[in-house]
Amino acid sequence: MRTRAAISASLASLGILAVGWQAGAQALEAQATAGGSAGTTGTTGTTGSTTASGTSGASGTSGSASSGTSSGTSASQTTGSQAKAQTTYAGKAVSTRFGNVQVQITVQSGKITEVTALHLTDAEMRSQMISATAAPILRSEVLQAQSANVQTVSGATITSDAYLTSLQAALDAAHL
Amino acid sequence: MGTVVSLTIPVQAGAADAGSAVRPVLSGHTDAGSTAAHDAQAVVDRLEAATAVVEDQFAGLDAQFSLYKPTSEASRIARGELSLMEASPLMRDLYADAIRWRRRTDGAFTPERPDGLLDLSGLVKGYAIAEAGRSLAALGLTDWCLNAGGDVLVSGSPAPRPPISRDGGPRGGAGASAWLAGIVDPADRRTLLGAYPLGGTGTAPDSVMDAVMGAAPGMGTSPAVSGRALSGRAPRLALATSGSAERGDHIWTVGIRRAGGGAQRPDFVQVSVAASDVVTADVLATAIVAGGRATLDTVTARWDVDVLVVTHDGALLATPGFRAPSAA
Repeated sequence: MRTRAAISASLASLGILAVGWQAGAQALEAQATAGGSAGTTGTTGTTGSTTASGTSGASGTSGSASSGTSSGTSASQTTGSQAKAQTTYAGKAVSTRFGNVQVQITVQSGKITEVTALHLTDAEMRSQMISATAAPILRSEVLQAQSANVQTVSGATITSDAYLTSLQAALDAAHL
Repeated sequence: MGTVVSLTIPVQAGAADAGSAVRPVLSGHTDAGSTAAHDAQAVVDRLEAATAVVEDQFAGLDAQFSLYKPTSEASRIARGELSLMEASPLMRDLYADAIRWRRRTDGAFTPERPDGLLDLSGLVKGYAIAEAGRSLAALGLTDWCLNAGGDVLVSGSPAPRPPISRDGGPRGGAGASAWLAGIVDPADRRTLLGAYPLGGTGTAPDSVMDAVMGAAPGMGTSPAVSGRALSGRAPRLALATSGSAERGDHIWTVGIRRAGGGAQRPDFVQVSVAASDVVTADVLATAIVAGGRATLDTVTARWDVDVLVVTHDGALLATPGFRAPSAA
């Protein structure tokens, strides 16, 4: 499938993080396959038609303002014209660890001319990535607990289980 | 308001714990509004029956995997009397799992000791707890907390569900409360560093995610992928803690190229990982102790987990999930 290869190539050039890229590729795969499946989310355009007839993608049920819309910006929209009809297709929104990712492609004369990530920019995704890393934290910032209000205790296994037992006894006493 | 009931049962689980007794603790609760003694007794009876099942499972796995029992299958493999090819399907499956984890953690987690001995202990403990959890679910128990050797797996909530029917809305509405798991301070084991909420239905919202996603148009209608909440976070049902403070010898740093070179002492004294399943939590906690800062960063980038680390000088490193709401 040449279309898919082209999609992958353009995605690669975008340098989207692996997770977003996979999602994007997935979403676009849905695009590249024959449309018509009633998408519950996002939209499905018509198949990436290589006839450049300027047909617009059929928009799906829900989705963002730009999904599935096909903006024809060609000079001549006459039927059957082989003009440079530009059509944009929005892929299905895919949920990733860092948020929803949706990819929009622009097709011109059967070639993908542009791939845009909707809803989550690279920078946003990076900031999500950063927010998930472990950073220094003060003891006072950790969700505090007294042994009276926890139901269980996690700790590295120790050779003497006396500690766990005694702590459990204290917990039992607190709750029963 | 019901009462939380806990039972402690001595079980020899040498495979998981260097020959000392791991005592699985199973907790449940009495029904809402009930403080009647016979109701509490019924809960205790149910928990005792379930605990007997869990106890049997642990004993069985211990007999098979303990390197402290000369007759175990693991010991026979270690002595060269049995090859992996001839080993039981479970042994082979767990070994294959261990190899997969080694690859995913870039070698930080490994089933081979520096002396070349095959040791699946780092995986068996998590597997045993996960199996026990499946048994409890099969017995029809929905609200429980299982603690074996400091690793915790929960289901449901410590408080009885409110009698009002809960709608399926992902936000708003009082969800069932979470289990609160304390985390031991390695510097003073009589105190807790803090706590982490497990289970419940109102898992702590990730405020950052909410800020990004909350108002995205047309996103609210999409079904959650793989059972995740709208926040995009997997539920946290398990918490495992691994440490080098007491027994640095049971975690090896072999196979990892460290900046300093050689097998120096681990960067981290204690590592706690909260995840949606107990095997992942257990394996990743062990991997981070073995691999230090580099593995910590790899893990938080690749897995949807929360991590709390205690360094040698007593400082803490944590993902946002460990932050108290007021401090967020």
